[in-house]
Amino acid sequence: MGKKAMIIVCILVAASLPLYAGPYFLSVFNTIFVYMSLSLTWDMMLRTGQLSYGTAGLFGLGAYSSALLVAKAGVHPLLSIVLGGLFAGVVAFLLGFAVLRLRKIYFSITTLALTSVFAVVIRNLPRLTGGASGMVLPSALFSGDAAKNYWMVFALALGVIGISLWLSRSKTHYAINAIRNDEIAARSSGVDVFKYLLFMFVLTSSIQGVIGAFYAQQYAFVQPEATFSMNFLLLPLAMALVGGVYSTSGPVVGAVVLGVVSEYLKLIMPYGHLVVYGLIIVLVVLFMPRGLTRFVARQLARRGRVGGADRAALGN
Amino acid sequence: MQAAGSAKRLYIYTAALIVTAIIIWFWEPTALVYGIQRGSLYAVVALPLALILGILGVLNLAHGEFLTVGLYATYTLFRNYGWDPMASAVPVSIILAVVGIGVYLLTVRQVLKAGHLSQLLITFGIALVLSELLKSIYTTQPRAVFTTYSYAFTRFAGVRFGIYEFVYLAIALGVLFGLQLFLKKTRLGQATFAVGQNPTGAAIVGINVRFVYLFVFGLSIAIVGLVSAFMVPRVSVFPGAGTPFTMKSFALTAMAGLGNLNGILLAGLALGILEAIVNAIPGGAGWSDVVVFGVLILVILSRAFRGAR
Amino acid sequence: MQTVPLLETRNLERRFGGLLAVKELSFSVGRGEILGIIGPNGAGKTTVINLVAGIIPPTGGQILFKGQRVDHLPAHARSHLGIARTFQNVRPLEDFTALENIMVGALFGRGQNLAQARATALEICELIDLPHYDRPVDNLTVLDLKKVEIGRALAAQPDLLFLDELMAGLNADETREMIAVVRQLQRREITIVVVEHIMAVVKELTERCIVLDGGTIIAQGSYAEVAANERVIEAYLGKEA
Repeated sequence: MGKKAMIIVCILVAASLPLYAGPYFLSVFNTIFVYMSLSLTWDMMLRTGQLSYGTAGLFGLGAYSSALLVAKAGVHPLLSIVLGGLFAGVVAFLLGFAVLRLRKIYFSITTLALTSVFAVVIRNLPRLTGGASGMVLPSALFSGDAAKNYWMVFALALGVIGISLWLSRSKTHYAINAIRNDEIAARSSGVDVFKYLLFMFVLTSSIQGVIGAFYAQQYAFVQPEATFSMNFLLLPLAMALVGGVYSTSGPVVGAVVLGVVSEYLKLIMPYGHLVVYGLIIVLVVLFMPRGLTRFVARQLARRGRVGGADRAALGN
Repeated sequence: MQAAGSAKRLYIYTAALIVTAIIIWFWEPTALVYGIQRGSLYAVVALPLALILGILGVLNLAHGEFLTVGLYATYTLFRNYGWDPMASAVPVSIILAVVGIGVYLLTVRQVLKAGHLSQLLITFGIALVLSELLKSIYTTQPRAVFTTYSYAFTRFAGVRFGIYEFVYLAIALGVLFGLQLFLKKTRLGQATFAVGQNPTGAAIVGINVRFVYLFVFGLSIAIVGLVSAFMVPRVSVFPGAGTPFTMKSFALTAMAGLGNLNGILLAGLALGILEAIVNAIPGGAGWSDVVVFGVLILVILSRAFRGAR
Repeated sequence: MQTVPLLETRNLERRFGGLLAVKELSFSVGRGEILGIIGPNGAGKTTVINLVAGIIPPTGGQILFKGQRVDHLPAHARSHLGIARTFQNVRPLEDFTALENIMVGALFGRGQNLAQARATALEICELIDLPHYDRPVDNLTVLDLKKVEIGRALAAQPDLLFLDELMAGLNADETREMIAVVRQLQRREITIVVVEHIMAVVKELTERCIVLDGGTIIAQGSYAEVAANERVIEAYLGKEA
């Protein structure tokens, strides 16, 4: 069975899930697709050589802007999702314009602070945002229909996968890799580094905003602590690391694997189960920097029993 | 570590700070006092981060979490053995040095040559592990330690303010002075300075660079431990208590410029006073946490457009 | 007859803290010539390349390319205008094959799309004799890596190409091969500036040389002229003392 056939089967299975899966299962995979999308966007930014810790911040920004649009301006929920993404993109543009001129640690730590800064701002504007206790929206997306919500997030995830794949086959891929490998060589060869970094930051942040907006509409609720939760940074990060960075298949695989694992973890370790993600991050960086997919591929290739087509399927 | 030109800049900034301080004293005296106290705390917590960043080239994202570990260590010594926090300062700094060195040997040392991405990721993972471990041992319930001396107050020029937190200023000056002495007068210190300037060159002249890295990391975390013990009587101890300090320490390091330890004290005081001003403005109470973020953005912008490369 | 030189620097200066790496540097390069820049180690040769290519900004003076000031332009803009360079320590892009490395120059220096860039890169591989272009760069010999470096610079369609110690680390045969490649480039009407340590190469390739020491020009002229110049000899010998 070729790689393409396997993928089509997976997509069909995933698409038809609401037809036979129960509500718990659906919600688990719903969550997995949310995290998968975030993980892909985190990886896409990482491909430029810049590590963004701002995933949760832009996610929350999209969530709140969409919530405010619906609650205070009567905007249609689906439109608000688009606008939420746009808003996150604009904020990312302004921020990136300021911060991307100095990169690496400056960029990373500034994005790390983003999440708490946005949360503080939201908390300090209680009349607008409901402050620390949050805001309930008049109605949930699709009136809470589990299947429709699932198909929406599935479509979003497919869209993000598509963007990630397109990216890896486009001219931009060359720019990004060149910047990551050797910025000076890239600049000397005519790559406008700042333009590409800004573009990637705005692109990935907009997607994060869209996902956040969808999340807010689905649960019809935003609240600083829950919406700006570090979970929306830690899990996507760990998922991309485990699955394999600088790829599309890595975050996808990592999201499914860790998504399932985290459900199990939540049951057995109510307090401090996030420590596992911390350990995962540390261990992956130390021992398996290229992630699970490539690790497995190399092991199997080393055994020498794998045929050419399957080896290609397991690689990237 | 400082050229002649930036010594002049130091004097200018100090003068500006003093002028601002006088103005604030007449507008809102307690803001000045608390600004100086908080600011010194920020400065002395920032110095260890600056050390690791300057000598090892690693941004320790777990910096604030180490501080939290120190807070909990002090708290535990108090609760289980009745040790006064100020008395546990030295034991806690030793405990933290051990923890720091352990973490360093297991993780950071392996990624010293692996590039900034691996370093950022690994210290981030360590931060997470530390805070989650603390959470699972102590739960998220905030703890507190009450001592009478930490609430002592005094009056000066008709203004009443707490006096305990001036200890941060004393510690900051002490650590700064100690570090300067160390770097200039001891062999290990001079070796450290050399490694910070040029690790390859230092290795060539026979300096044991690996030991210097280990020592600096351990020393840095030890200083964090020392400060945390003095913080305990005045702060609420909970798993996220130290986290904001990572960002603030980095902001101060960026403001002062790498290698400029004295500048960090000045930057810390400036930040502390700025936060106190924001707090004193009506309606500004919740916004003081955002101040440091704005300051950092300004620093980044000014550095980028000064074209310093 | 006044023709505008392709490149001209006027009183170029670069300060690093207290150190003046380059000072009062004024020279020009005419279209189609091969200029040599020589000088003892630390004379500032690579700094000059970095200044002209836009990797670091000058702290004083001007750089004019095709008659227009470029010293405020970022490196990538100068690449679009037609300035290219290779690096003393080769800087291949690790996650690419040799061909893809060269394509980067075509994509962003020349502004081509993927298909055009691939064609351009293939053509350049033929020109510089690089048959193993589909190999990832960690699998290449030093000579091939240097060819990739030139190829990437060429792909950007430069008018002016700086070669920074291209021959370093090559044996006699490889050096001859490289010299032939450089002559090919000259036939393509690319103006070349050769920064070199190996005097035989300078003598063979260049029509004119400038000699740098301590950041300034101490002599100009043909190789024969500067080789006989007393100040030049002193600069080299003096540094060895």
